[in-house]
Amino acid sequence: MSQQPLRIMVIDDENIVGKRLKPALEKTGDVVETFEDGETALARFAKQPFDIVVTDIRMEKIDGLEILEQILAMSRQTKVILITGYATVEIAREALSKGAFDFIAKPFKPADLRAIIERAARELRP
Amino acid sequence: MGILGKLKKLGHGETGVRDFSVQTLRFWKFLENARALMELAADGREKVAGEYIFDRHYVVSLIDSVVDRLGMMVYDAGVLVPEKGASLYAAHDRLKQAARHLITGPVESAGDAEDPEYKLLADALQWFDDPAAPPEKTVTALMKKAFLDVMQGRVGAGAAKMTSLFDSGNLRATDMDIYLVDLWRDPLTLPVRKRSVAGFNSIPLRHLLMDVRREKTADTGGAAPGKTAWVAAVDEYHLSLNRLGPGPCFRLEALASGYEPSDFIFVYTDRPGLLETLLPRGLHVEAAAQGRIAWSLDMSASAIEKSLAAMGREIFDEGLWAGE
Repeated sequence: MSQQPLRIMVIDDENIVGKRLKPALEKTGDVVETFEDGETALARFAKQPFDIVVTDIRMEKIDGLEILEQILAMSRQTKVILITGYATVEIAREALSKGAFDFIAKPFKPADLRAIIERAARELRP
Repeated sequence: MGILGKLKKLGHGETGVRDFSVQTLRFWKFLENARALMELAADGREKVAGEYIFDRHYVVSLIDSVVDRLGMMVYDAGVLVPEKGASLYAAHDRLKQAARHLITGPVESAGDAEDPEYKLLADALQWFDDPAAPPEKTVTALMKKAFLDVMQGRVGAGAAKMTSLFDSGNLRATDMDIYLVDLWRDPLTLPVRKRSVAGFNSIPLRHLLMDVRREKTADTGGAAPGKTAWVAAVDEYHLSLNRLGPGPCFRLEALASGYEPSDFIFVYTDRPGLLETLLPRGLHVEAAAQGRIAWSLDMSASAIEKSLAAMGREIFDEGLWAGE
């Protein structure tokens, strides 16, 4: 029996990230929605939770750490994966202690993110 | 006595050794910066190939890093050959301006099929290395010019100064016709008259001389008449080998630390055809009217050992330099 597709939310204020990630992650049949700001993404999440949230750390208005806290407050089982730049790796480590599932440093290959998502999916669907 | 106290007490010859050591160490910094630039370009090429996801911040950081490293390399070159400093700095300024234009200027003809970030990276790589660009319009062209300027600085007055420094024979080995400089100890202590290759703990020097016959040298002060004179400046992992005196310029640099991502061999000569004779396979060669540069990066410990041993056999074969 085939498994339900994952619902994946991608948040990055750099348009290019969502634009390139969406088709790459949808190849395996998962449902991907992309957002360029945290406010809109959180409003969407409040209406319908996602299995996995992939978010950049450094963004204007609401940063990735705040998104992490709000997502986990709404849904403990959601896996949050953080995207970091070189300068934010330390922050990402701190985020792990606050409940983030993992992080990935930009630039990255979609295949590397996919590997993290698959690990997260195994925890969601043991 | 502290380091400053020792330096103050140095005599003329020892000051010369100190200057020689400082120049050698500066040249290593120059190579280190050149290597970092090549790694930055390789990183950009890997990302632009299409598999990676990156944003504008990555490209801007890459361009800024190249400008900074190139500035360091130009600074090193300016220290090594001050008379070339002004033209190198001017060329660096022009490339810096071109980089600013890339970052702040409009992205041209980025059609629907091409994202602006990817177009910017492709443009940045062209700024780094475009064979069709006029001379000094690319980072690679300036790197090449800096290399040749620095190497040419060793010819003429530079070479004469180096030869006179070693003429006294204070730094000559007792078991081989070669002058030896311990880059960290010799500038701070009165050079010990007796020294031998066997007494120097330097991995690349050991590799280089692995198959070279050693014999007791005559106590004549300078190099044996008719023989090619060499000076090897070393520390545990580094080697800088220079040919002294008139005739072709030859320089070999090697780092053999056992850490593959950093180890390398670099060779320069102004004698046509020499590299074909003595280089092991796998070295990248760049030719110019003023001379030839060859290098190999990311070498394994065994590759470094084999390459240096093979080069040592050729370099210390007097037949190679006959008639010079």
